Amino acid sequence: MVHEDYKEMIPARALSALDAAEERALNEHLENCDQCRKELEDWQATAATLAVVADPVEPSPKVRERILSEVRKELATPEVIPFRSTSRNVWRSFGSLGAMAAVVLLTALIVGLIVIWRENRAIKEELARTREFVQLATTPGAKTNELKGVDLGAGATAKFAYDKTGHAMLMADNLPSVPRGKAYQLWFIVGKNPPMPGKTFSPDSAGNGVVIDQMPKEALDSAIFAITLEPEGGVDKPTGQIYLRSFEVN
Amino acid sequence: MELLKAIAARDEAALAQLYDRYRVILFGLLMRILNNREEAEDVLQEVFLQVWRKAEDFDEERGRPFTWLVTLGRSRGIDRLRTLASRERVAEAGARDAVEEISDAASDAFRSEQRGLVNKALAQLPDEQKRPLMLAYFDGLTQSEIAMRLDAPLGTVKTRMRTGLMTLRELLAGQGESFGF
Repeated sequence: MVHEDYKEMIPARALSALDAAEERALNEHLENCDQCRKELEDWQATAATLAVVADPVEPSPKVRERILSEVRKELATPEVIPFRSTSRNVWRSFGSLGAMAAVVLLTALIVGLIVIWRENRAIKEELARTREFVQLATTPGAKTNELKGVDLGAGATAKFAYDKTGHAMLMADNLPSVPRGKAYQLWFIVGKNPPMPGKTFSPDSAGNGVVIDQMPKEALDSAIFAITLEPEGGVDKPTGQIYLRSFEVN
Repeated sequence: MELLKAIAARDEAALAQLYDRYRVILFGLLMRILNNREEAEDVLQEVFLQVWRKAEDFDEERGRPFTWLVTLGRSRGIDRLRTLASRERVAEAGARDAVEEISDAASDAFRSEQRGLVNKALAQLPDEQKRPLMLAYFDGLTQSEIAMRLDAPLGTVKTRMRTGLMTLRELLAGQGESFGF
Protein backbone atom coordinates (compact mmCIF):
# COMPACT_ATOMS: atom_id res chain seq x y z
CA MET A 1 0.00 0.00 0.00
CA VAL A 2 1.07 3.56 -0.64
CA HIS A 3 0.55 6.70 1.43
CA GLU A 4 -2.72 7.57 -0.33
CA ASP A 5 -4.16 4.14 0.50
CA TYR A 6 -3.47 4.66 4.18
CA LYS A 7 -4.85 8.18 4.04
CA GLU A 8 -8.18 6.84 2.75
CA MET A 9 -8.41 4.50 5.73
CA ILE A 10 -8.04 7.24 8.32
CA PRO A 11 -11.72 8.34 8.64
CA ALA A 12 -12.74 4.74 9.33
CA ARG A 13 -9.89 4.43 11.81
CA ALA A 14 -11.24 7.50 13.64
CA LEU A 15 -14.50 5.57 14.06
CA SER A 16 -12.60 2.38 15.06
CA ALA A 17 -14.33 0.72 12.13
CA LEU A 18 -11.34 -0.86 10.40
CA ASP A 19 -10.97 -4.61 10.38
CA ALA A 20 -8.12 -5.92 12.50
CA ALA A 21 -5.64 -6.48 9.64
CA GLU A 22 -6.27 -3.01 8.17
CA GLU A 23 -5.93 -1.38 11.57
CA ARG A 24 -2.62 -3.14 12.21
CA ALA A 25 -1.27 -2.03 8.83
CA LEU A 26 -2.40 1.56 9.34
CA ASN A 27 -1.00 1.69 12.87
CA GLU A 28 2.39 0.66 11.53
CA HIS A 29 2.20 3.39 8.91
CA LEU A 30 1.16 5.97 11.52
CA GLU A 31 4.29 5.29 13.49
CA ASN A 32 6.34 6.74 10.66
CA CYS A 33 3.98 9.28 9.09
CA ASP A 34 3.46 12.57 10.90
CA GLN A 35 1.06 13.81 8.25
CA CYS A 36 -1.30 10.85 8.66
CA ARG A 37 -1.07 11.08 12.44
CA LYS A 38 -2.16 14.70 12.28
CA GLU A 39 -4.94 13.78 9.91
CA LEU A 40 -6.15 11.07 12.27
CA GLU A 41 -6.33 13.61 15.09
CA ASP A 42 -8.51 15.86 12.92
CA TRP A 43 -10.84 13.02 11.99
CA GLN A 44 -11.08 11.93 15.62
CA ALA A 45 -12.21 15.43 16.54
CA THR A 46 -15.00 15.19 13.97
CA ALA A 47 -15.99 11.71 15.12
CA ALA A 48 -16.09 12.88 18.75
CA THR A 49 -18.81 15.39 17.94
CA LEU A 50 -21.16 12.44 17.40
CA ALA A 51 -21.08 11.86 21.16
CA VAL A 52 -23.44 14.77 21.76
CA VAL A 53 -26.08 13.08 19.62
CA ALA A 54 -26.68 10.61 22.43
CA ASP A 55 -29.37 11.68 24.88
CA PRO A 56 -27.75 13.21 27.94
CA VAL A 57 -28.28 10.99 31.00
CA GLU A 58 -27.52 11.73 34.64
CA PRO A 59 -25.44 8.99 36.32
CA SER A 60 -26.06 7.96 39.92
CA PRO A 61 -24.38 10.27 42.48
CA LYS A 62 -22.65 7.14 43.78
CA VAL A 63 -20.37 7.11 40.72
CA ARG A 64 -18.89 10.47 41.67
CA GLU A 65 -18.42 9.27 45.25
CA ARG A 66 -16.72 6.07 44.09
CA ILE A 67 -14.34 7.92 41.77
CA LEU A 68 -13.31 10.45 44.40
CA SER A 69 -12.99 7.77 47.04
CA GLU A 70 -10.65 5.81 44.76
CA VAL A 71 -8.67 8.94 44.01
CA ARG A 72 -8.23 9.68 47.71
CA LYS A 73 -7.02 6.15 48.27
CA GLU A 74 -4.45 6.60 45.51
CA LEU A 75 -3.37 9.93 46.91
CA ALA A 76 -2.76 8.22 50.23
CA THR A 77 -0.53 5.65 48.50
CA PRO A 78 0.97 7.50 45.53
CA GLU A 79 3.60 4.87 44.83
CA VAL A 80 1.02 2.42 43.48
CA ILE A 81 -0.39 4.82 40.89
CA PRO A 82 0.72 3.83 37.40
CA PHE A 83 1.35 7.26 35.90
CA ARG A 84 3.63 6.39 33.04
CA SER A 85 2.86 4.93 29.68
CA THR A 86 2.54 1.16 29.45
CA SER A 87 5.69 0.60 27.43
CA ARG A 88 7.84 2.56 29.82
CA ASN A 89 6.20 0.86 32.75
CA VAL A 90 6.93 -2.57 31.33
CA TRP A 91 10.62 -1.82 31.14
CA ARG A 92 10.57 -0.13 34.49
CA SER A 93 8.85 -3.17 35.91
CA PHE A 94 11.57 -5.37 34.51
CA GLY A 95 14.13 -3.02 36.03
CA SER A 96 12.34 -3.04 39.34
CA LEU A 97 11.98 -6.81 39.23
CA GLY A 98 15.67 -7.15 38.48
CA ALA A 99 16.55 -4.85 41.34
CA MET A 100 14.18 -6.70 43.64
CA ALA A 101 15.63 -10.05 42.59
CA ALA A 102 19.14 -8.73 43.22
CA VAL A 103 18.12 -7.49 46.66
CA VAL A 104 16.45 -10.82 47.45
CA LEU A 105 19.52 -12.76 46.28
CA LEU A 106 21.88 -10.50 48.19
CA THR A 107 19.74 -10.77 51.31
CA ALA A 108 19.59 -14.57 50.94
CA LEU A 109 23.36 -14.65 50.50
CA ILE A 110 23.96 -12.49 53.57
CA VAL A 111 21.48 -14.51 55.64
CA GLY A 112 23.12 -17.73 54.42
CA LEU A 113 26.58 -16.45 55.34
CA ILE A 114 25.35 -15.36 58.78
CA VAL A 115 23.77 -18.79 59.35
CA ILE A 116 26.96 -20.55 58.26
CA TRP A 117 29.08 -18.20 60.33
CA ARG A 118 26.85 -18.75 63.37
CA GLU A 119 26.79 -22.51 62.87
CA ASN A 120 30.53 -22.48 62.43
CA ARG A 121 30.95 -20.38 65.57
CA ALA A 122 28.54 -22.63 67.50
CA ILE A 123 30.42 -25.73 66.40
CA LYS A 124 33.74 -24.15 67.38
CA GLU A 125 32.33 -23.14 70.76
CA GLU A 126 30.90 -26.60 71.28
CA LEU A 127 34.26 -28.16 70.38
CA ALA A 128 36.07 -25.75 72.68
CA ARG A 129 33.75 -26.59 75.57
CA THR A 130 34.01 -30.31 74.92
CA ARG A 131 37.81 -30.02 74.78
CA GLU A 132 37.73 -28.05 78.01
CA PHE A 133 35.45 -30.63 79.62
CA VAL A 134 37.67 -33.54 78.47
CA GLN A 135 40.79 -31.76 79.75
CA LEU A 136 39.12 -31.20 83.08
CA ALA A 137 37.78 -34.75 83.30
CA THR A 138 41.19 -36.24 82.45
CA THR A 139 43.08 -34.16 84.93
CA PRO A 140 44.74 -36.46 87.51
CA GLY A 141 42.36 -36.84 90.47
CA ALA A 142 39.33 -35.47 88.57
CA LYS A 143 35.91 -37.00 89.00
CA THR A 144 32.88 -37.16 86.70
CA ASN A 145 29.22 -37.74 87.28
CA GLU A 146 26.08 -37.92 85.26
CA LEU A 147 22.82 -36.07 85.81
CA LYS A 148 19.47 -37.30 84.48
CA GLY A 149 16.32 -35.39 83.74
CA VAL A 150 13.42 -35.72 86.14
CA ASP A 151 9.82 -34.53 85.89
CA LEU A 152 9.77 -31.46 83.66
CA GLY A 153 13.40 -32.10 82.71
CA ALA A 154 12.71 -35.64 81.43
CA GLY A 155 14.85 -36.27 78.37
CA ALA A 156 17.58 -33.91 79.47
CA THR A 157 21.01 -35.16 80.48
CA ALA A 158 24.17 -33.56 81.80
CA LYS A 159 27.79 -34.45 82.50
CA PHE A 160 29.56 -33.03 85.45
CA ALA A 161 33.35 -32.98 85.97
CA TYR A 162 35.59 -31.40 88.59
CA ASP A 163 39.17 -31.57 89.64
CA LYS A 164 40.52 -31.87 93.14
CA THR A 165 40.63 -28.09 93.55
CA GLY A 166 36.87 -27.89 93.04
CA HIS A 167 37.05 -26.39 89.57
CA ALA A 168 33.87 -27.83 88.04
CA MET A 169 32.13 -27.87 84.72
CA LEU A 170 28.63 -29.01 83.78
CA MET A 171 27.48 -29.67 80.20
CA ALA A 172 23.73 -30.20 79.79
CA ASP A 173 21.73 -31.31 76.76
CA ASN A 174 18.02 -31.18 75.88
CA LEU A 175 17.00 -28.83 78.63
CA PRO A 176 13.66 -27.08 78.19
CA SER A 177 13.98 -23.39 77.34
CA VAL A 178 13.66 -21.09 80.31
CA PRO A 179 10.86 -18.55 80.74
CA ARG A 180 11.74 -14.84 80.76
CA GLY A 181 13.30 -13.85 84.09
CA LYS A 182 14.26 -17.41 84.95
CA ALA A 183 17.49 -19.45 84.79
CA TYR A 184 18.74 -22.87 85.73
CA GLN A 185 20.80 -23.04 88.91
CA LEU A 186 23.32 -25.65 90.00
CA TRP A 187 23.11 -27.08 93.53
CA PHE A 188 25.50 -29.09 95.64
CA ILE A 189 23.81 -31.31 98.20
CA VAL A 190 25.86 -32.93 100.93
CA GLY A 191 24.10 -35.39 103.20
CA LYS A 192 21.03 -33.94 104.81
CA ASN A 193 22.42 -30.43 104.84
CA PRO A 194 20.66 -27.64 103.01
CA PRO A 195 21.64 -27.51 99.27
CA MET A 196 24.53 -25.17 98.53
CA PRO A 197 23.93 -22.77 95.64
CA GLY A 198 26.02 -22.82 92.49
CA LYS A 199 25.95 -20.59 89.43
CA THR A 200 23.04 -19.98 87.13
CA PHE A 201 22.94 -20.54 83.37
CA SER A 202 20.53 -20.47 80.46
CA PRO A 203 20.55 -23.09 77.70
CA ASP A 204 20.76 -22.15 74.01
CA SER A 205 17.90 -22.70 71.59
CA ALA A 206 18.91 -26.37 71.23
CA GLY A 207 18.67 -26.89 74.99
CA ASN A 208 22.43 -27.09 75.51
CA GLY A 209 23.82 -25.34 78.55
CA VAL A 210 27.22 -25.00 80.13
CA VAL A 211 28.19 -23.74 83.50
CA ILE A 212 31.66 -23.49 85.04
CA ASP A 213 31.77 -23.14 88.79
CA GLN A 214 33.90 -23.48 91.86
CA MET A 215 32.56 -26.18 94.15
CA PRO A 216 32.24 -25.64 97.85
CA LYS A 217 34.92 -27.59 99.72
CA GLU A 218 32.21 -29.53 101.57
CA ALA A 219 31.03 -31.07 98.30
CA LEU A 220 34.41 -32.30 97.10
CA ASP A 221 34.24 -35.65 98.84
CA SER A 222 30.60 -36.54 98.79
CA ALA A 223 27.68 -34.75 97.15
CA ILE A 224 24.70 -34.93 94.87
CA PHE A 225 24.38 -32.38 92.06
CA ALA A 226 21.06 -30.94 90.95
CA ILE A 227 19.67 -28.32 88.60
CA THR A 228 16.53 -26.34 89.42
CA LEU A 229 14.70 -23.55 87.70
CA GLU A 230 15.06 -20.33 89.65
CA PRO A 231 14.84 -16.54 89.32
CA GLU A 232 17.44 -15.25 86.86
CA GLY A 233 19.87 -13.87 89.43
CA GLY A 234 19.90 -17.10 91.42
CA VAL A 235 18.75 -17.78 94.96
CA ASP A 236 20.34 -19.03 98.17
CA LYS A 237 17.80 -21.77 98.77
CA PRO A 238 16.14 -23.78 96.00
CA THR A 239 12.58 -22.65 95.29
CA GLY A 240 11.90 -24.25 91.90
CA GLN A 241 11.41 -27.72 90.63
CA ILE A 242 14.37 -30.06 90.00
CA TYR A 243 15.05 -30.63 86.29
CA LEU A 244 18.27 -32.64 86.53
CA ARG A 245 20.02 -34.50 89.28
CA SER A 246 22.73 -37.04 89.88
CA PHE A 247 21.80 -40.28 91.59
CA GLU A 248 25.22 -41.56 92.54
CA VAL A 249 27.07 -39.86 95.25
CA ASN A 250 30.51 -38.94 93.94
CA MET B 1 -7.18 22.45 29.41
CA GLU B 2 -6.31 23.99 32.75
CA LEU B 3 -8.40 21.35 34.46
CA LEU B 4 -6.37 18.56 32.87
CA LYS B 5 -3.14 20.25 33.91
CA ALA B 6 -4.46 20.52 37.47
CA ILE B 7 -5.52 16.87 37.39
CA ALA B 8 -2.07 15.88 36.18
CA ALA B 9 -0.77 17.78 39.22
CA ARG B 10 -2.97 15.51 41.42
CA ASP B 11 -5.69 18.08 42.08
CA GLU B 12 -8.69 16.08 43.25
CA ALA B 13 -11.01 19.10 43.08
CA ALA B 14 -10.11 19.58 39.41
CA LEU B 15 -11.14 16.00 38.67
CA ALA B 16 -14.43 16.58 40.48
CA GLN B 17 -14.98 19.70 38.38
CA LEU B 18 -14.19 17.88 35.15
CA TYR B 19 -16.58 15.11 36.17
CA ASP B 20 -19.36 17.56 36.94
CA ARG B 21 -18.88 19.20 33.58
CA TYR B 22 -18.80 16.08 31.41
CA ARG B 23 -20.60 13.34 33.33
CA VAL B 24 -23.90 13.81 31.55
CA ILE B 25 -22.50 13.82 28.02
CA LEU B 26 -20.21 10.87 28.72
CA PHE B 27 -22.82 8.88 30.60
CA GLY B 28 -25.33 9.54 27.82
CA LEU B 29 -22.77 8.25 25.33
CA LEU B 30 -22.06 5.17 27.43
CA MET B 31 -25.76 4.49 27.92
CA ARG B 32 -26.28 4.74 24.18
CA ILE B 33 -23.45 2.26 23.60
CA LEU B 34 -24.17 -0.17 26.42
CA ASN B 35 -27.84 0.41 27.17
CA ASN B 36 -27.22 -0.85 30.68
CA ARG B 37 -27.03 1.57 33.58
CA GLU B 38 -24.86 -0.59 35.80
CA GLU B 39 -22.31 -1.29 33.06
CA ALA B 40 -22.34 2.31 31.89
CA GLU B 41 -21.71 3.62 35.42
CA ASP B 42 -18.89 1.16 35.86
CA VAL B 43 -17.26 2.29 32.62
CA LEU B 44 -17.83 5.95 33.50
CA GLN B 45 -15.90 5.36 36.72
CA GLU B 46 -13.10 3.62 34.79
CA VAL B 47 -12.90 6.51 32.35
CA PHE B 48 -12.50 9.18 35.01
CA LEU B 49 -9.99 7.10 36.93
CA GLN B 50 -8.06 6.73 33.70
CA VAL B 51 -8.24 10.49 33.22
CA TRP B 52 -6.87 10.87 36.75
CA ARG B 53 -4.00 8.51 36.04
CA LYS B 54 -3.26 9.57 32.47
CA ALA B 55 -3.96 13.31 32.49
CA GLU B 56 -0.27 14.02 32.07
CA ASP B 57 -0.38 12.10 28.77
CA PHE B 58 -2.82 14.62 27.30
CA ASP B 59 -1.07 16.61 24.58
CA GLU B 60 -2.87 19.85 23.83
CA GLU B 61 -1.13 20.05 20.47
CA ARG B 62 -2.71 16.80 19.41
CA GLY B 63 -6.33 17.69 20.01
CA ARG B 64 -8.94 19.28 22.19
CA PRO B 65 -9.64 17.99 25.68
CA PHE B 66 -13.24 17.31 24.60
CA THR B 67 -12.00 15.01 21.84
CA TRP B 68 -9.56 13.27 24.15
CA LEU B 69 -12.18 12.67 26.82
CA VAL B 70 -14.92 11.52 24.45
CA THR B 71 -12.55 9.30 22.46
CA LEU B 72 -11.39 7.72 25.69
CA GLY B 73 -14.96 7.24 26.94
CA ARG B 74 -16.23 5.79 23.68
CA SER B 75 -13.25 3.49 23.35
CA ARG B 76 -13.86 2.11 26.85
CA GLY B 77 -17.55 1.78 26.16
CA ILE B 78 -17.00 -0.14 22.91
CA ASP B 79 -14.41 -2.35 24.63
CA ARG B 80 -16.96 -3.19 27.32
CA LEU B 81 -19.65 -3.80 24.72
CA ARG B 82 -17.42 -6.23 22.87
CA THR B 83 -16.48 -7.93 26.11
CA LEU B 84 -20.06 -8.37 27.06
CA ALA B 85 -20.96 -9.33 23.52
CA SER B 86 -24.33 -8.03 24.47
CA ARG B 87 -25.74 -6.98 21.21
CA GLU B 88 -29.19 -7.75 22.52
CA ARG B 89 -29.71 -4.22 23.55
CA VAL B 90 -32.82 -2.44 22.44
CA ALA B 91 -31.95 -0.32 19.47
CA GLU B 92 -34.79 2.12 19.75
CA ALA B 93 -33.59 5.01 21.82
CA GLY B 94 -37.15 5.93 22.74
CA ALA B 95 -37.66 2.61 24.48
CA ARG B 96 -34.96 3.18 27.05
CA ASP B 97 -35.70 3.89 30.67
CA ALA B 98 -32.78 6.24 30.78
CA VAL B 99 -34.58 8.83 28.72
CA GLU B 100 -36.76 9.81 31.64
CA GLU B 101 -33.65 10.35 33.69
CA ILE B 102 -32.27 13.11 31.53
CA SER B 103 -30.68 15.54 33.90
CA ASP B 104 -31.39 19.18 34.30
CA ALA B 105 -28.04 19.73 32.72
CA ALA B 106 -29.51 18.47 29.48
CA SER B 107 -31.40 21.71 29.25
CA ASP B 108 -28.17 23.60 29.50
CA ALA B 109 -28.16 25.97 26.56
CA PHE B 110 -24.55 25.37 25.71
CA ARG B 111 -24.96 21.63 25.53
CA SER B 112 -28.22 21.94 23.63
CA GLU B 113 -26.45 24.11 21.14
CA GLN B 114 -23.84 21.44 20.56
CA ARG B 115 -26.49 18.80 20.05
CA GLY B 116 -28.43 21.08 17.79
CA LEU B 117 -25.41 21.71 15.60
CA VAL B 118 -24.54 18.06 15.19
CA ASN B 119 -28.11 16.91 14.72
CA LYS B 120 -28.62 19.61 12.11
CA ALA B 121 -25.49 18.50 10.27
CA LEU B 122 -26.49 14.83 10.47
CA ALA B 123 -29.94 15.69 9.15
CA GLN B 124 -28.28 16.91 6.00
CA LEU B 125 -26.57 13.58 5.42
CA PRO B 126 -28.31 11.00 3.29
CA ASP B 127 -29.45 8.05 5.40
CA GLU B 128 -27.14 5.75 3.48
CA GLN B 129 -24.17 7.77 4.81
CA LYS B 130 -25.56 8.45 8.27
CA ARG B 131 -26.37 4.84 9.16
CA PRO B 132 -22.83 3.50 8.71
CA LEU B 133 -21.55 6.34 10.88
CA MET B 134 -24.04 5.60 13.65
CA LEU B 135 -23.44 1.86 13.52
CA ALA B 136 -19.69 2.38 13.75
CA TYR B 137 -19.75 5.04 16.44
CA PHE B 138 -22.42 3.75 18.81
CA ASP B 139 -22.46 0.02 18.07
CA GLY B 140 -18.74 -0.40 17.56
CA LEU B 141 -19.22 -2.29 14.29
CA THR B 142 -16.39 -2.56 11.78
CA GLN B 143 -16.90 -1.75 8.12
CA SER B 144 -17.21 -5.46 7.29
CA GLU B 145 -19.83 -5.95 10.00
CA ILE B 146 -21.73 -2.91 8.78
CA ALA B 147 -21.65 -4.24 5.24
CA MET B 148 -23.18 -7.48 6.46
CA ARG B 149 -25.72 -5.69 8.62
CA LEU B 150 -26.83 -3.43 5.77
CA ASP B 151 -26.41 -6.11 3.16
CA ALA B 152 -24.26 -3.77 1.10
CA PRO B 153 -20.92 -4.27 -0.67
CA LEU B 154 -17.93 -3.55 1.60
CA GLY B 155 -16.45 -1.05 -0.86
CA THR B 156 -19.72 0.86 -0.94
CA VAL B 157 -19.87 1.00 2.85
CA LYS B 158 -16.29 2.29 3.02
CA THR B 159 -17.03 5.03 0.52
CA ARG B 160 -20.28 6.07 2.21
CA MET B 161 -18.69 6.14 5.63
CA ARG B 162 -15.77 8.24 4.46
CA THR B 163 -18.02 10.60 2.50
CA GLY B 164 -20.41 10.93 5.44
CA LEU B 165 -17.68 11.84 7.90
CA MET B 166 -16.13 14.29 5.43
CA THR B 167 -19.49 15.99 4.93
CA LEU B 168 -20.02 16.17 8.67
CA ARG B 169 -16.63 17.77 9.10
CA GLU B 170 -17.40 20.38 6.44
CA LEU B 171 -20.78 21.14 7.96
CA LEU B 172 -19.29 21.55 11.43
CA ALA B 173 -16.29 23.53 10.19
CA GLY B 174 -15.84 26.65 12.28
CA GLN B 175 -17.92 25.21 15.12
CA GLY B 176 -14.93 23.59 16.78
CA GLU B 177 -14.94 26.02 19.68
CA SER B 178 -18.30 24.63 20.72
CA PHE B 179 -16.65 21.35 21.57
CA GLY B 180 -13.75 22.66 23.57
CA PHE B 181 -13.72 23.40 27.29
